[in-house]
Amino acid sequence: MRDLTRRQLLQHLGLITAGLAVACTPLKVLTSAYPQAFDDDAELTDGVLRAFALTVIPSAPAGDPDLARAFTDPDLPFAPYAGFFASDLARRAGNRFETPFERLDVAQRAAVIREALAADGTTQKLYGSAILLAQVAFYAGIYDDKRGCELIGFEGGYHWHPLAAITHPDPARFLPEALTADGNYS
Amino acid sequence: MKTVHTDVLIIGTGFGAAAPALRLAQAGAKVTMIEKGPRVQTADFRQTSDPRYLLKYLRGTPGDHLSLTYAEALGGGSGFYEMVSLRAPSVAFDQLDAQGHRLWPEGLDRAALDPYYDLAERMLHVSQIPLAEVPKTGLVFAQLMKNLGYSVDRARYAVRGCQGSGFCVTGCVYGAKQSLFLNYLPQAVEAGAEIETDLEALSVQPLAHPHPRAWLTLGETPYRYQVICQRRTGERERLRFVARVVILGGGTVGTATLLLRSRTYLPLLSEHVGRNIAYNGSVKVAGLLPDGFPDADMFTGRTHPGMISYHFLQSHGITVHGVKAQPLMIVSAARMKLEGHRRVSGWWGEPNVELMQQMRHRMIVLAAFGLTPPGAALDVSEDGRARVVLPLDAALERYHADTRQLLESILLRNGCRLVETDFLDKQFEPEQGVHFSTAHQVGSCRMAERKADGVVTSNGEVFDYPGLYVSDGAVIPSSLSVNTSLTILANAERIAAGIIDRYRPSSRAPAR
Repeated sequence: MRDLTRRQLLQHLGLITAGLAVACTPLKVLTSAYPQAFDDDAELTDGVLRAFALTVIPSAPAGDPDLARAFTDPDLPFAPYAGFFASDLARRAGNRFETPFERLDVAQRAAVIREALAADGTTQKLYGSAILLAQVAFYAGIYDDKRGCELIGFEGGYHWHPLAAITHPDPARFLPEALTADGNYS
Repeated sequence: MKTVHTDVLIIGTGFGAAAPALRLAQAGAKVTMIEKGPRVQTADFRQTSDPRYLLKYLRGTPGDHLSLTYAEALGGGSGFYEMVSLRAPSVAFDQLDAQGHRLWPEGLDRAALDPYYDLAERMLHVSQIPLAEVPKTGLVFAQLMKNLGYSVDRARYAVRGCQGSGFCVTGCVYGAKQSLFLNYLPQAVEAGAEIETDLEALSVQPLAHPHPRAWLTLGETPYRYQVICQRRTGERERLRFVARVVILGGGTVGTATLLLRSRTYLPLLSEHVGRNIAYNGSVKVAGLLPDGFPDADMFTGRTHPGMISYHFLQSHGITVHGVKAQPLMIVSAARMKLEGHRRVSGWWGEPNVELMQQMRHRMIVLAAFGLTPPGAALDVSEDGRARVVLPLDAALERYHADTRQLLESILLRNGCRLVETDFLDKQFEPEQGVHFSTAHQVGSCRMAERKADGVVTSNGEVFDYPGLYVSDGAVIPSSLSVNTSLTILANAERIAAGIIDRYRPSSRAPAR
């Protein structure tokens, strides 16, 4: 036991709990048994996670270096699950299409994700969180204050706009009757 | 444990704490403020969507049917609010409880608060937004209302020299927004107050002493309370503050949590601590503008888009606002898809991208703030974690449904397409059923005429604990239907005036 690595211990615990109903399985247990390669091979995991992000946001630039960064960012809560998540995508892709997830076309990848979102509650939660994280990281541009997200016209921070760009000309034409003299309703 | 003696200890540095600190320091009292959050100033702010930055200052209290957001930093929420500064309408003060009793104590109404609103507005340089500065989204909101014959007013803000960057809620990097560390707090320090940050109050304990004669001056008043604190940085040192007067101003969640933790030492506390939380029943809907309608702009111009409608205040008990938000806030708050979208994956994939591409210029979000009753309560566990519980009843469900229907009808009658929004909980799972989220929580230690109805007197003094006051949003006994900061500040000014009148600090005995 002394020589057992933490990773092996987690796998062992995962096997013990394999008989439990998956819907009731805590995420920590569910994610404890998966191929070691997804923890050891960062390139493999990154490729799968990038393909996932490009399925959630199909118009995102494929070469965006930050596309999958949030999944493994140690400051964000998804990182402990990233390896398992990538392995689960790979497993589902293999089962359904006999092809690695990252080599599927968008429609096939979307089918894999839809299948997971229709699975047990724990899997739904994992995939729902991953989708949200991909969207937040990309649309909000969380890794560069000034970059924003060109796809949705979000410029990010530190871009000054003249007043004319912020409002419409002749603003009075938009206004209906006001009920107060100064904005405070008595 | 190091002991610090002070005349007045104020816990918190936000809207409820800053006014007593300034006024009591100016009146000659030795004032010490302690703040749980970090010290922050304009130079610390970023125009960013970095969650790590936001999580450094912003906190949330999750719960059943209600979730609360607030800030922990020097100045409390004032660094991160939308700077909307409106007086609560008279109808807010006239609300009744289920038994037909007025929620606000006798004599406390809009007219009574107006002099203090005046004072607070002067301090924060509050003014109505000039028409020429109303952001596009505010004008589009006005047009939607105008098309249906509804009124709209330009709102009021605590700002000087607004640059319209759209990043109000991450802190104003220009120092234009009148956060409290630009006015009240430095003036309090100039008057002699001391401020410690990263210091959390753990408990409030009364000190044994002979019952004082009534109407002692501050200098004659014995040290009556000790507050045990712990630093949140470094060695996490513990400190003991001993004070003649203690003022709790840590906010609706913070103050109630502290009092609940201190109940062992304060056995006579009202059973209402942590209860009767009001939350401005916020209901939101989203839609896409029809072709031919002028563009909105979700991302530029001040965060609150400049306009408020009081049109439904008398008839429905709500105000209506346009809402702007950065992508981070929108995406993390709700799963969105166009109503009736047939594809299951409407909240991700290509359909979602198409929707997101319309967010900046074609999406309009409406919110209603309502006079919902103070029905929520805090549940604080032994480890200090708080949850908020809002029991749903038929009336509240009906309010939510009716308000949502009204907002949706405003969009639909203008030709907008509705956007389905499944709001997300703290674990980013869709909320089930009716759920309110707000940063306008008030009332966990509400003012009342009798201990049977509340926690503090109309002067802010805790029932049965002379010299222990609450001056923040926790004492506000009702929803306001408008943003709460100015009312909290004005009421804190009023409570501060009462404390000065009661203790006459300028006639204090020489310091020991």
